[in-house]
Amino acid sequence: MKRILSGVLASAMLLALCACGGGTPAETTAGTDTPAETGAAEASTELNIYMWQQYISDQVVSDFEEANNCTVNISYMSDNADAITKLTAGGGQEYDLIMTCDAYMESLIAGGYVEELDLSRIPNSSNINSSYWSSPNHSIPYLGNYIYVVYNTETCPIEITCYNDLLDPALKGQITSIDGARNLFPMALVALGYDPNSENEEEIAEAYEWLVKYNENVVAYGNAEQNLTNGTASVAFTYDGNASWAFAETGGEDSPLVVAPFTDDAVQLGFDMYVIPTGAQHTDLAYKFLDYICDPEVMAQNLVEFPYFCPNDAAVAAAPESYRNDPSKDFDYKENVFFQEDVGDALTIYNDYYQMLKVGQ
Amino acid sequence: MASLTKVQRHRKALGILGDVYAILIYAVLYIPVVVMMIFSFNDQRYNYYWNGFTTQWYGKLFTNHALMDSLWYSLIIAVLATVISVVVGTLGALGLKRYEFKMKKFVNSMIFIPIIVPEIVLAVALLIIFMNVGFSLGMGSILIGHCTFCIPYAVVTIKGRISGDGETLEEASMDLGANRIQTFLRVTLPSIMPGVMSAAFLSFTLSIDDVVMSNMLSGAKNTTLPVLILSMNKSGVTPDVNALTTIMILVIVACMLLSNAVKAALRKRSAAA
Repeated sequence: MKRILSGVLASAMLLALCACGGGTPAETTAGTDTPAETGAAEASTELNIYMWQQYISDQVVSDFEEANNCTVNISYMSDNADAITKLTAGGGQEYDLIMTCDAYMESLIAGGYVEELDLSRIPNSSNINSSYWSSPNHSIPYLGNYIYVVYNTETCPIEITCYNDLLDPALKGQITSIDGARNLFPMALVALGYDPNSENEEEIAEAYEWLVKYNENVVAYGNAEQNLTNGTASVAFTYDGNASWAFAETGGEDSPLVVAPFTDDAVQLGFDMYVIPTGAQHTDLAYKFLDYICDPEVMAQNLVEFPYFCPNDAAVAAAPESYRNDPSKDFDYKENVFFQEDVGDALTIYNDYYQMLKVGQ
Repeated sequence: MASLTKVQRHRKALGILGDVYAILIYAVLYIPVVVMMIFSFNDQRYNYYWNGFTTQWYGKLFTNHALMDSLWYSLIIAVLATVISVVVGTLGALGLKRYEFKMKKFVNSMIFIPIIVPEIVLAVALLIIFMNVGFSLGMGSILIGHCTFCIPYAVVTIKGRISGDGETLEEASMDLGANRIQTFLRVTLPSIMPGVMSAAFLSFTLSIDDVVMSNMLSGAKNTTLPVLILSMNKSGVTPDVNALTTIMILVIVACMLLSNAVKAALRKRSAAA
């Protein structure tokens, strides 16, 4: 019995060693790869991507597979935190590209979980508008969403040009809003004139008081597009993607809906970005894919199917008119934006106040 | 009515109350399932609201490779996890119940640890271990993950079926010349079979609808059906998922009816004999 057991243990350890050994050489070649060497070295035949579901055109992916004679395996996350957990547990080498968002970038870079990008290998990245690019050395922004205010000009009692207008008592029971601490608090902080990523507890407490008043005007959290179209609410604080749907449902360009003409307040812009995790095994293909997806024609094709906000100016110019004329993207403060940053330990302060807000204390 | 006595009226009122109670409970249990099934006939890309009747999703379902692949992946893992859990669970249950050893009580209560510990904690712990020993993520890692919670449930379920009488029967069997293997297969196993079957069903169910463990431990190439469905949440779940779930429910109902029919037939046969 003991002999069997030790045999099993030994073979298990051997297997583990083989697996480790298999990983290391691949990593080192990947690390030292330069563009000139890529051609000489054995080209990878598979690319493993971890990203959101329903977020990239199948045609775009299969064209890439054909052009590079490789297989692209895409697996899907259900939450940004999934990707972060896998990365920080050391699972990065399972993937070649991972999708993440602004709020996590600082920690990921500090922890050494993502590779520094060699932008000379992604020439098409020059098409990306730098005002939308929060960490250009480590990430390539893919698509994103504004979080802004949309209202129905026929049923909304007032004109809305800043966040403070949302506290107007005339809007009682009129607002449908997205939820989440890191979506609501930045709005309040901007309205109060503070840094939207404040780590100061007094400012966050003040924002909480602001949100309590906001809360009185909110009729429902979530489902903004449905509530706007069926008349439950006349104002929505929501993503431009959801607004796009509401515009389409209420008559497209003839829709009574309008993106609130903000004058000074900045709006939140969140990007989903690709990073190459440390230890990725097929970096040659990962770079090729990043360059491919930044190609204006490719991205324009992708935008037909997934009409989200795109940071690639050349791709927007190449996109069909239906995309460029989408009324949900018709507003002129596109660059007056802020990003969700890593707030470190202050996150617990946000969560505490957020919970207070939710239980109505 | 007048002929009813006070006691009879009382009983009748209680009977109605009982019916109302049962209807309410069943309504809570089944209305979501019925709604889910109705929306599999919804003529809309995403299930935001009812838009009209169609059966197209039942056809399109089979051309959705991602959905079909993940279904097979889930089924293979569930079957393997069930087989492993039942075998290990049966041996474990017999050993933990029948044999005396040091710290038996302690070992017996330790079996509940994986059941009590939140699954996400186990999942992350396994993920860290796998990554540190260089075990790559995929079917193997998910299978091991599922076994960590299926085996304890199987042990607990089967242990409950092992009675004291079994031991005397086993001794009698061996007295009559059967060896240990024959005794196990002909006496012990049939006596605990209902427990083994429940453990199998339980393991299969736990494995096939697990999200937390599969989500953490799935690799880059494949994922299980529940993880895929969860990941659809961002954009909206498409009606072909409802169609697939409806088919799964119908298959389960058919299996249950079939198993009842087989049981009834067997009972009749043994009664006749």
